[in-house]
Amino acid sequence: MIPFFGNLALWLSLFFASLQFILAYNQNPNLLLRFNNIVNKGLLISILISFFSLMYCHIISDFSVLNVFQNSHTTKPLLYKISGVWGNHEGSMLLWILVLIIFNYFIHKLFNKKNLALLSKALEVQALIIIGFLLFSILTSNPFEIIFPVPSNGLGFNPLLQDPALAIHPPLLYIGYVGFSAAFSLGIASMSVSKKERVNWHSYMKPFVVAAWSFLTLGIALGSIWAYYELGWGGWWFWDPVENASLMPWLLGTALIHSLITVEKKKSLQTWVLLLSILTFLLSVTGTFLVRSGILTSVHTFALDPERGIYILAFIALLGGYSLLLYGLKSKNFLNKNYLSFLSREGLILANNIIMMTVCATVFLGTMYPLLIEAFSNNKISVGEPYFNSTVVPIMIPAILIMGIGPILSWGDKSTKKKLKILSPAIFLTFISTIIFIWLYNSFNLFGIIGIVMSFWIISNIILAQIQHFQKKFNINKIKTNIIPKSSLGMTLAHLGIGLLILGITGSSVWQKEKIVKMNINDETFIHDYKIVFKEVKKNIGPNYIALQGNFLIYTKNNQLIAELKPENRFYPVAQNSTTEASIHTNIFRDLYIVLGDGDINNGWIIRIYYNPLVIWIWIGVVTIFAGGLFSLKKNIGIIKKIPA
Amino acid sequence: MKNKTLIIPAILFFFILFILFYLLLIDRKPSELPSVLINKKVPVFKAESLLNDNIFISEKEFKNELTIVNFFATWCKPCLDEHVYLKKLSIGENLKIIGINYKDDPKKAIKWLKELGNPYYDVLVDYDARIGIDWGVYGLPETFIINSKGIIKYRLVGPITEKNYNMFKLKIIEINQ
Repeated sequence: MIPFFGNLALWLSLFFASLQFILAYNQNPNLLLRFNNIVNKGLLISILISFFSLMYCHIISDFSVLNVFQNSHTTKPLLYKISGVWGNHEGSMLLWILVLIIFNYFIHKLFNKKNLALLSKALEVQALIIIGFLLFSILTSNPFEIIFPVPSNGLGFNPLLQDPALAIHPPLLYIGYVGFSAAFSLGIASMSVSKKERVNWHSYMKPFVVAAWSFLTLGIALGSIWAYYELGWGGWWFWDPVENASLMPWLLGTALIHSLITVEKKKSLQTWVLLLSILTFLLSVTGTFLVRSGILTSVHTFALDPERGIYILAFIALLGGYSLLLYGLKSKNFLNKNYLSFLSREGLILANNIIMMTVCATVFLGTMYPLLIEAFSNNKISVGEPYFNSTVVPIMIPAILIMGIGPILSWGDKSTKKKLKILSPAIFLTFISTIIFIWLYNSFNLFGIIGIVMSFWIISNIILAQIQHFQKKFNINKIKTNIIPKSSLGMTLAHLGIGLLILGITGSSVWQKEKIVKMNINDETFIHDYKIVFKEVKKNIGPNYIALQGNFLIYTKNNQLIAELKPENRFYPVAQNSTTEASIHTNIFRDLYIVLGDGDINNGWIIRIYYNPLVIWIWIGVVTIFAGGLFSLKKNIGIIKKIPA
Repeated sequence: MKNKTLIIPAILFFFILFILFYLLLIDRKPSELPSVLINKKVPVFKAESLLNDNIFISEKEFKNELTIVNFFATWCKPCLDEHVYLKKLSIGENLKIIGINYKDDPKKAIKWLKELGNPYYDVLVDYDARIGIDWGVYGLPETFIINSKGIIKYRLVGPITEKNYNMFKLKIIEINQ
């Protein structure tokens, strides 16, 4: 019964979405306001019913539903029964649509008589996107398909996905991807309506972009954390095509946020905003396409089904063709002849935009190149880590230098020479902290030094700016301290987060130490300054797995016990699959990371040990960025509320 | 910005779209790589051995018995996972496995083999990837099965894992007959 209702609700959503699409052609404001309200809520309620019906089927293990049968099992813990809803292609598509409709609801909430033309156009585009994905779900990947006779138990779940970080990774990531749909719709809408009707379009767009970007940041990071401890390879980023697919919208989203700020303050870079709002969402959908069409092979690949691939690609063609042609024809109306001086905040933002675009294009090329080559020459090649590391890193360096200076300069600045003088304390602080750091770590690796300089450059600039604001606030320093412009808390936190992130990335990639050894019980080995003793291996029975658990004691140089690490090798009998669970000891300086490999009591086990400096700062950095995003979101919602209705 | 440049994104977009459509419509299986080398003689090459001072000459080695060629490197994480199964093959099945150490630091490779054990009959140094290019190596690890007449019969892209180990063994038996 429940799956039937879920399916019905899915069709009902399609009905409401179509109504919303048709309604946009109605020009009667009263009717539009009142009727749209009903349609919009109807859409939200029906998709919620559909989504929770599927969740219910997963929770009670209703194996009459094909999706539950294929992806679940009665022995699976409750949390993973819930997250199992989006741990597969059909269910995750439903989640995607749910998030899309929630964003649709928020766009609708902004509706009033003044912005009627703009927002009804945006809602029309949003409805088109929703219809596209609903049809995709209903026609090619319906989660409510029934099987008969009802099997007695399910096929189980990919055990790699049975993990708390991965349980919430897709929802966060989807809020990010899908949130950009609102920017896309608003961008199209502002190009479609007349100049008079284009009221504050950028202010409406900004909170959606900030929200999407912040959640995307967090979502990507959770995926990385998962890869870090679950794959047991000691790293957290592998330039996998699907990782790249999430990185590209992130890069463009970063550029989009900054351009939006410039539009808000100086009315320039409007065409950039439009282009970025289109491309960011297109790349988000392309990411979905890459994952689900089987065109690329990757650890994330859901289902190899060309039919689905063709559907999504046709939809991308429709969205992209429509939006980019519209952009080609209409965006000239947004061109603004204001001259930008390079050494002003907007000048640097433009420079950063260009760099972000370049990095994105580089990643795109690296991801697509094997496909291009294959299409033209029938050869298969692979582009791996060396390409990305040697192209992306150097392009990013100027962006980071600029990032340090940008917030110090003011908008439309003309007296920049004077201001560049205030950079000297930051340069000095960066220099000192880098020296101390290099001395502490006793390493002169070139990339390490560059990374550390970059990181401390951003952090120093932020700290100094804060000190100056503080002095100004309390009049401690009577000299002219108001040369540094005001900066928002959101920006400060987000930039600080990036600084910390770079610190973590540099530490863990440049100074990582790896040791692969064969060890018997009571053997000891050394890594960095630590002694590691292999105490025992025991059997551990989990809810739906059997694990071999190793016990390792970690001692410092002075033979002080600091930690006990227990990496596991889990075997999942239902899925006939095993996973490794790395055990990690973390402090603010480094991670110690142990993976139990293959082996037995007679021959010993293969043990992989990593010394990963500064990894924790990656996660701290991301959380800081996310916090910054939330503050900025709050501020931008406040701005919208002040727009007179 | 000239007004006409604004249409460039649309043009690029259609170009990329065209390629993606083309790739979807042609019959391709991304995980199964066709090899132009299948059913052909092994490429002729000479290489230095990682383990001793001998020069390895391909014409002399690929005959009389079934041989497995495995491209690996210490920087390739899946190679590490695969190592156990290579050892199973070399000890359990008594197979002649030739390792080709692809774009790697020889010192690291020697250390790797010392610590993990050496399943290889011989390990060749392919520091500048020349052998890899001749063999059309796509990504690491890759494993080829060569029959007793020196003809390449099978190519596996990606690691030998718990899942495909038995399939791989069957292939060897099939080819040996």
